[in-house]
Amino acid sequence: MAKNKNSYSMIMVIVSVLIVFAIIKVIAPYVFMILLAKDHTMPTPSTLLLWYMVLAVLASLVYVSTSDLKWANFLSFILPAGDDKFKALFQKMMVIAFPLLVGWFVYSGTVPGTASPVELRIQHPTLLQEFEKLENPFANADEATKRKCIEEGKHLYQQNCRPCHGSKADGNGPFANAFRLRPINFTDPGTIATVVENFAFWRIKEGGPGLPAVSTPWDSAMPAWKDVLTDTQIWKIIMGEYVTAGVQSRQREEMEH
Amino acid sequence: MKIVFALFLAIFFVALAVNSGIANESGGESDAVEASVDTGETAEEEEKSVPFEVVEYRNFFGIDGRLLVWIVSQLHLMFAAFVLAVPLFVVIIEMIGAKTNQIKFDNLAYELTKLLSTAFATTAALGGLLAFALYGCYPGFMRYMTDVFHPYMYVYALCFFGEVFFLYAYYYSWNLLNKGMGKWVHIFLGVMLNVFGTTLMMLANSWATFMMAPAGIDMKTGAILSRSAAFFNFLWMPVNIHRIIANVAFGGFVVGAYAAVKFMGAKTEEDKAHYDWMGYIGNFIGLAAFIPLPFAGYYLGREIYSASPVMGNIMMGGAFSWTFIIQAILIGMLFVGGNYYLWNGMGRIKGAERYTPYIKYINIVIFFCFAVWLTPHNLPLSGEERALIGEQYHPFSKFFGVMAAKNAVVNLLILSTFFSFLLYKRANKGETKPFKSHGNTARVTMIITVGLTVMYLIWYAMGLKGQDLDAAVKPYLSPLLKCITIQIIALIGALFLTFANKGKLAQTLLFVVTVSISVVYFWYYGFVVMEKANMVLRFLSVTQVSIVISTLIVNTVIDVFLFKDAKEVGGIQWGKIPNRAQYALLLLCVAIVTLMGLMGFIRSGLRMNWHIYGYMQDKSAGAFTPSIAYMGWVVSLIVFLFLFMVAAVFWLAGLAGKKKSV
Repeated sequence: MAKNKNSYSMIMVIVSVLIVFAIIKVIAPYVFMILLAKDHTMPTPSTLLLWYMVLAVLASLVYVSTSDLKWANFLSFILPAGDDKFKALFQKMMVIAFPLLVGWFVYSGTVPGTASPVELRIQHPTLLQEFEKLENPFANADEATKRKCIEEGKHLYQQNCRPCHGSKADGNGPFANAFRLRPINFTDPGTIATVVENFAFWRIKEGGPGLPAVSTPWDSAMPAWKDVLTDTQIWKIIMGEYVTAGVQSRQREEMEH
Repeated sequence: MKIVFALFLAIFFVALAVNSGIANESGGESDAVEASVDTGETAEEEEKSVPFEVVEYRNFFGIDGRLLVWIVSQLHLMFAAFVLAVPLFVVIIEMIGAKTNQIKFDNLAYELTKLLSTAFATTAALGGLLAFALYGCYPGFMRYMTDVFHPYMYVYALCFFGEVFFLYAYYYSWNLLNKGMGKWVHIFLGVMLNVFGTTLMMLANSWATFMMAPAGIDMKTGAILSRSAAFFNFLWMPVNIHRIIANVAFGGFVVGAYAAVKFMGAKTEEDKAHYDWMGYIGNFIGLAAFIPLPFAGYYLGREIYSASPVMGNIMMGGAFSWTFIIQAILIGMLFVGGNYYLWNGMGRIKGAERYTPYIKYINIVIFFCFAVWLTPHNLPLSGEERALIGEQYHPFSKFFGVMAAKNAVVNLLILSTFFSFLLYKRANKGETKPFKSHGNTARVTMIITVGLTVMYLIWYAMGLKGQDLDAAVKPYLSPLLKCITIQIIALIGALFLTFANKGKLAQTLLFVVTVSISVVYFWYYGFVVMEKANMVLRFLSVTQVSIVISTLIVNTVIDVFLFKDAKEVGGIQWGKIPNRAQYALLLLCVAIVTLMGLMGFIRSGLRMNWHIYGYMQDKSAGAFTPSIAYMGWVVSLIVFLFLFMVAAVFWLAGLAGKKKSV
């Protein structure tokens, strides 16, 4: 079957997969530590590590089986051929290593440990129906009124939201470090910029306690502000908060009819 | 053993689905009926006198009505997709056969039509079962739907009659109308079959989309204000477009899997060659339709957002966001499987060795895109990881998890797959003839193609310029306009290069410009826009897609003329393909069936506990949004049932052919 007795394609595949592993597991955490100016490494999440390694193995297997010749070369390392001592040793190593590897995966996946479980969190809980049709009362106001609302909103934001979300709305308020899940960084374009204003209104008004029971855990320490702030104040905060963060809310698209 | 195992698996799935789907019949009416049964034999006469009461919900022999309707409607939809899609490409294949006088195309079209006739009866039977299940389990809801749509229901029945008539006329007249003008009359019958089939689908689509984005009714009282508005509701056309394209991809991959099974069981070289070729055609149709599918999906998703930010929000960021990770895995599998089949297919073409070194680079690009495509914005993290990262988002997911990155990689996936196709197509081609030698037809075709794509881009750019946007946001449109201008210049440049007999250079130019703009630059600019002017993001996505599509179209036409009448290098040895490639075809079929089941769940599930979103609530006991695990079991059961049924249907279709040959 194997035409080329000295094909090392299997070794190359194994080395390539190990290189990918080293990049994701070891190098990436240091790169992100430097890039983000942290004082500790930024670990690649275990879920992502697993997914990327599965893809790396799959990509290698796809490549080595794209032709009969490549496939034969790949297999030639473990199929009996010739008197190559190195190859014979490798065959034995493979026979021993593979069950050990599988055993290690099974063991590490089932052994009781102290690590907390991986949580499958949903980013945006479902907005309640009654909030869908709400509209910001100042949405159609004149420019002067809007500016006034934004200024009032910024002031209200600094009074009520700054301790957690920070004066720049970047999630770095003085209390931020006290939470297991840090307050949201609004300047990140993946956060409040991806939702309509109504969503922000609902979250501020109902807070963590108002989150739906499905798809927990939410881990949100956000209080329900409906007992403290009026609806008008909340709308103003929203206007001020978006300006402070330097992002815009998701705009509704026009319905064609 | 295999049969016993298959039976065991079927019983296992059914038991699981039944167990987790049992729900009480809702409404006091049914309780009243049950209570009256408990009073014993002596109360028999009293029982008879219990006045008739209208029931809103029923279950199906202990199985939740919602579960039954879910399974039956999805199965019906899958068979319907097959019988809608296959005639679309069967008629085209037959036309190619008639035009080129190649009998193999005609034989292929006939073989596929044979499958169609048996699958059609199953589709109709499942449609009937679905109607009975709906009227039986949801009489209250169906009463209202009938009130709104009854005139269209008669049209539906008439169209069904038309489809049946033309299907059987098309099938049974194959040998009768086989020559000269008769062939074109036969093709006309096929076209009419498609007209009725597509109309039928569009009629049924309006009922489903009305449930998501109701129109033409008073949302408080339910009074019917305009039937036509209810029919032409907001999501109707996006779903029509999405379904037609998806159905063709689905049909192509199912045909590919059929050919793969036949190939692996073929006894003669002739049969092997035939089914190898059939598998290639199936994969080609599947992939060709699959390439524009993400664009149609994006359009539908965007319109769902427009119809309701709540539905849009739970779709992409909420309860359904994890199902989109599964979708990403399935789409990635389709791209990998499709390419893998092509790469293995190059082994049976002499001369392909010139192009095989490119495979490793395409492979790396595809898997890189796959990795970005499935990375969620909101990663699953353990407490320790979260504490160390210290933020909501990890740097990976921050840059890979949002639409700017997803759009970039899906466009790169499409361009890479298209590139694989080009390599495959030219593997057997040697010395080419100069473009000039193809005469005026080639020139005119090139000018029209480039002209149309340029006109489309100009039309879109004019629309962008005319957008009524905030003064602070508007400047962010200008890079998009510049990119469209660069693409227009590249398209015109490609035209001149082709005329100057430098077609390959023209293709390279278009690839380089498109990848630079649509993948690299728009990936970066997507983040800028997200941060500074997210309103522009939707225009950026459409610009990105438009540029990619213009390149795909123009490059295809250049390629056709580049290799027209080119010398063949060594010919294609049909039948000499490894079984690995056939397993890839089977994988493609299973992946697209699963994808269809999953996306069907998402589209319908977005309504949550509403029959008609915002107007009529589902008050039955089964009105909950299923968990991912529960959804996984039910979709798996549907996939298993469909594959089992379709295999049975194909086996039956094959019996007739066997008897003849004996």
